[in-house]
Amino acid sequence: MNKQSAPPGMPPGTPPVLQLRGIGKFFPGVIANKDVDLDVWPGEIHALLGENGAGKSTLMNVVTGIYQPEEGEIILDGYGQAFASPQDAIRAGIGMVHQHFKLVEAFTVAENIHLGWDEAPRMASPAVLEARTREISERFGFPVRPDARVGDLSAGEQQRVEILRVLARRARLLIMDEPTAVLTPEETGELFRALRAFRAQGNAVIIISHKLDEVMEISDRVSILRGGRKVGTFLTADCTPSMLAATMVGRDIVRRNMRARPEGAAPIAADPVMQLRHVSVRDGRGVETLRDVSLDLHGGEILGIAGVAGNGQRELTHVLTGLMARTAGEIMLDGNLVERADPALFAHAGVGHIPEDRLRSALAPSLSITTNMALREYTRPPIDRHGLYDAKAAGELAHGIAELAQVSIPDFAMPVRNLSGGNQQRLVARREIRIATRVLVAAYPARGLDIGAIATMLGYLTDLRDQGVAVVFISEDLEDLLNVSDRIGVMFHGRLMSVIDAEAADMATIGLLMGGREPADLPGAGVRQ
Amino acid sequence: MIALLTGMLATAVLAGGVLALAALGEVLAERVGVTNLGVEGLMALGAVTAVMTVSAVPSPWVGLLAAIMVGALGGLVFAFGAVVMRANQVLCGLATTFMGLGLSTALGHNYAGQPVGTTFGHVSVPLLSSIPVIGPAFFGQNILIIPIYVLLPLAVHFIMFRTRHGLNMRAVGENPAAADAAGIPVMAMRLGYVVLGGAMAGMAGGYLTLTYVPVWSEGMVAGRGWIALALVIFAGYRPVIVTLSALLFGLVTALSFVGQAHNWPIDPAFLNMLPYLGTMAFIIVPVVVWHRMRRIMAAPAALGQPYYRDVR
Amino acid sequence: MATRAFQRLPTAPAGRILALRLAAIVLSLFIIAGVLALSGHSPLMLAELILRSTIGSRFGLEDLALFMCPLLLTGAAVCVCGTIGLWNIGAEGQFYAGAIAATGVALGLHGPAVVLLPLMTIAGIAGGMAWITVPTLARAYAGVNEIITTLLLNFIASLLTYYLTTGPWRDRISGAQVSTQRIPVAIPEMWGIVHWGFPVAIVIVIGLALVLSRTRWGYEIRLGGANPEAARYAGIPVRVRIISVMLLSGGLAGLAGMFEVAGTVHRLQGGMANNFGYLGIVVAVLARGSCLNVIPAALLMALILDSGIVMQTQQLSSSVVLAITGLILFMIAIGDELAHYRPLARTTTGEKTR
Repeated sequence: MNKQSAPPGMPPGTPPVLQLRGIGKFFPGVIANKDVDLDVWPGEIHALLGENGAGKSTLMNVVTGIYQPEEGEIILDGYGQAFASPQDAIRAGIGMVHQHFKLVEAFTVAENIHLGWDEAPRMASPAVLEARTREISERFGFPVRPDARVGDLSAGEQQRVEILRVLARRARLLIMDEPTAVLTPEETGELFRALRAFRAQGNAVIIISHKLDEVMEISDRVSILRGGRKVGTFLTADCTPSMLAATMVGRDIVRRNMRARPEGAAPIAADPVMQLRHVSVRDGRGVETLRDVSLDLHGGEILGIAGVAGNGQRELTHVLTGLMARTAGEIMLDGNLVERADPALFAHAGVGHIPEDRLRSALAPSLSITTNMALREYTRPPIDRHGLYDAKAAGELAHGIAELAQVSIPDFAMPVRNLSGGNQQRLVARREIRIATRVLVAAYPARGLDIGAIATMLGYLTDLRDQGVAVVFISEDLEDLLNVSDRIGVMFHGRLMSVIDAEAADMATIGLLMGGREPADLPGAGVRQ
Repeated sequence: MIALLTGMLATAVLAGGVLALAALGEVLAERVGVTNLGVEGLMALGAVTAVMTVSAVPSPWVGLLAAIMVGALGGLVFAFGAVVMRANQVLCGLATTFMGLGLSTALGHNYAGQPVGTTFGHVSVPLLSSIPVIGPAFFGQNILIIPIYVLLPLAVHFIMFRTRHGLNMRAVGENPAAADAAGIPVMAMRLGYVVLGGAMAGMAGGYLTLTYVPVWSEGMVAGRGWIALALVIFAGYRPVIVTLSALLFGLVTALSFVGQAHNWPIDPAFLNMLPYLGTMAFIIVPVVVWHRMRRIMAAPAALGQPYYRDVR
Repeated sequence: MATRAFQRLPTAPAGRILALRLAAIVLSLFIIAGVLALSGHSPLMLAELILRSTIGSRFGLEDLALFMCPLLLTGAAVCVCGTIGLWNIGAEGQFYAGAIAATGVALGLHGPAVVLLPLMTIAGIAGGMAWITVPTLARAYAGVNEIITTLLLNFIASLLTYYLTTGPWRDRISGAQVSTQRIPVAIPEMWGIVHWGFPVAIVIVIGLALVLSRTRWGYEIRLGGANPEAARYAGIPVRVRIISVMLLSGGLAGLAGMFEVAGTVHRLQGGMANNFGYLGIVVAVLARGSCLNVIPAALLMALILDSGIVMQTQQLSSSVVLAITGLILFMIAIGDELAHYRPLARTTTGEKTR
């Protein structure tokens, strides 16, 4: 399919920017990559598609010198290369923007831009670095604040810093791992424009993505990985989303409207199970991160929350689960005023919580799977026996959860961090669903999952809804939101802009609300508050 | 009163200088993410090396150089375990302290209790040394005081916060994965600064026996290495502040000497507690009063964590 | 492309750790034997002597138990603190505080042993707890690094002991230096010179291991130590747990001091903590965070200390012994890390990501 011949429009004899031949990379008990061949030509945007664990990130870490492959060779511009370190790859013109940004949070934007860069001036005072950063930022048309501390920036701003850093080092091959996961539709549009401009100068881009529509929109060719091996490379023009999805998972996936209730499902309850009345939250620096939010949650209903990450979703989640104290307003559980934020109280009242960053907040990575699965029920019989912890009962609980989550676990005593991210997510979800008898707050439960796993996860949510539980589903993926939600709220700058009937909602309206447009300014239909 | 202050500051500057050197070295190691609990042992090795060297070659400079070299060697041994092999830093550090204390005593057996013949002589900078109180302490004692209190901390500060290299170095301690992805040689950086930190601990030991306490005896380092470690945390890993806090610690130490010399009606044991009590108070009070201190004084984010690139 | 023959496992199997530790110790012994041979000693003769006077004789075993007793408790003290993610570097100071408090009771009150010993035990535990109170509160309420505060208090405790044993409590009867007089009561002996504190310490360590693994409180401590944010998410009052664990830790080290005063030394002496507090850190690190492992770790440490005593009788100074301890620890640290690596066996790796 992809031999040495240059694609149409290339002068004959032009070598690919990057060629991989028979790359193999192994981890304990896992073949991450095997026999992977890949050609990337100058002036193309090449999408790399695959499920979680298909080996995309590993392959790109090999290309950027972070991992050394056990097998195969890397050829740049026709010459074999061995990267002993990321520095070698950077010198060769390969730049990568990682999914988990490789930025130093305690440093400023300017310091991060100049990190490890041999063209940075030897005498690098903050003023010098900031001036240079301002200049670079203008040259490439990526606005950044040079003196801002990176830890204080939103994910989108951090990504801009990462891209700018790569561009400043004169990369000819830009690799982006899931770049749009944290962006608004507008920001995504800007990013794509920038990538096309980069391509127009004869450079190449490899973009890793799950999102089929984006792959269709931005890429020239698509390579698909499955189980660490390459399935094939296709011209994007010859592809359809469904064909790509089927190739990726090796089976057909049908997306469906999941709003319809099956027979015997619980109806939407008349009385709200949880209510927020004018709730506000201020952070440690006095900034209002949640502003005057009022909300009713009804059993048997899924409330979707749309919005760009960092617009108050985290605070809303934490207020709804008792992790964060409100600074103003009231919270009612079953009509009773909740006096103080106490996560134990909320959990006992039947509020489950699938948090955004499961490894950091919902699991203890170094402890066993059994211990982690007992986290919500260690205070209840049968695990708790008058202050004693029944390890056997905890083990049975863990087995039960794993079975429901369809995760096969060789050893329940092994640390939970040894599991893949997707499996961790499923286990946390099932653990929380067990205690979510009244409310489930699910923050980005599908983030980082592949198509098959996303469908399963959304199925969990609708099953819970059908049992009469109120579900709050926070997501960035509008399609997922529209598929399952009954109502959709949009968050912007800590405010709940509007709650819309999902039936009547359309992507454009939600997109405008996510960008901060006032509901009153929108052309009418279906908006209610 | 002036005489009392002058004497106190002179003692404080001597006592604090030992700590300043060791603590500054540890700042370097911890800024690249490595806690070296071996400082106490390396100081003992440096102290005995200086004594042994000057008894053979009667030059304090040669003695100091030997102490530096031995400290660097000890730092290299620690770094082999903690950085190259990526073994547990706490265990490696404690082991280095034990080896250093044990070896130094064994080596110094024949020198114990004898006064050191060659030390850094008295120097007096014209004009400057006649400034009241400050002059005799900083310009009227030995030639190393200005380098220790002014030149070294300022140089380290400049390199750390005003150069490209310093930026890269700090990144290694904050986020080695990000530093690595940016092409900074994490392992080499850690190795280099841990060895340099060890060299400075050795130098601190040599300085101790060549100026302040010119006699070798077992246990003479007397916990100064541990105090240096405490000062590093206290100073929020900043080179200039760590030097100042060493001087502060020296001042409180000197206060207890003054008390003993003037027969204050307090038992010397309690006066000797003052530096430790003072440090406790200095650590706890500011954080209680001003919560933002915690973020300002935060440790390098990757402190104590070994870095593995090729592991997930 | 460079082919690397090893890869690192996230967790090292216990068997491999044990094997590599043995290898580390054997390697250290070879190095030590070499050095001793070069300096004119006969390593074989020394080895035989050490074996005979430690595990090879009743007298040696008794000594071993006496060394183990404080190490078990200080090791447990550091270990339990480590479970919630904190370092108690101050077991040495808490040891002194416990010893001082127990001695105070013994010297100040009069009564039969059945009354005095329980009072001394309570005083010892309370003394250790009191000594860690300031670091505990500073940690729990202001986030002050407990490593420095507990460390600094060691120096103060040691100075306080010196003050008491040379000042108000000095021995006015036999005139022993830096020491109080002999206290009137002692923990009864159960086997030779081994007092009942030894089995009690073992029981305490086992009990602690059970508490940590088999109670709700222990579960909360483990979770809080492994991930404080997840503990908050689970509704655990982390601050309260930190306070209780640190006080428990101080109490254990204080009890070690009381046992040493009432069971072994029979008086308060300057320097009597004998680095047991610092060695407790070593024991806890060797135990790799498991309280049950404190027992073999304390045994190993006691063996090294006991061998040191034997070597001192053979004109080797105690400092050499300290250096040897350091070398063995260093080798073990490296061995533990190497236990994580295994040869890359490509043929046996299956695809089992999902």
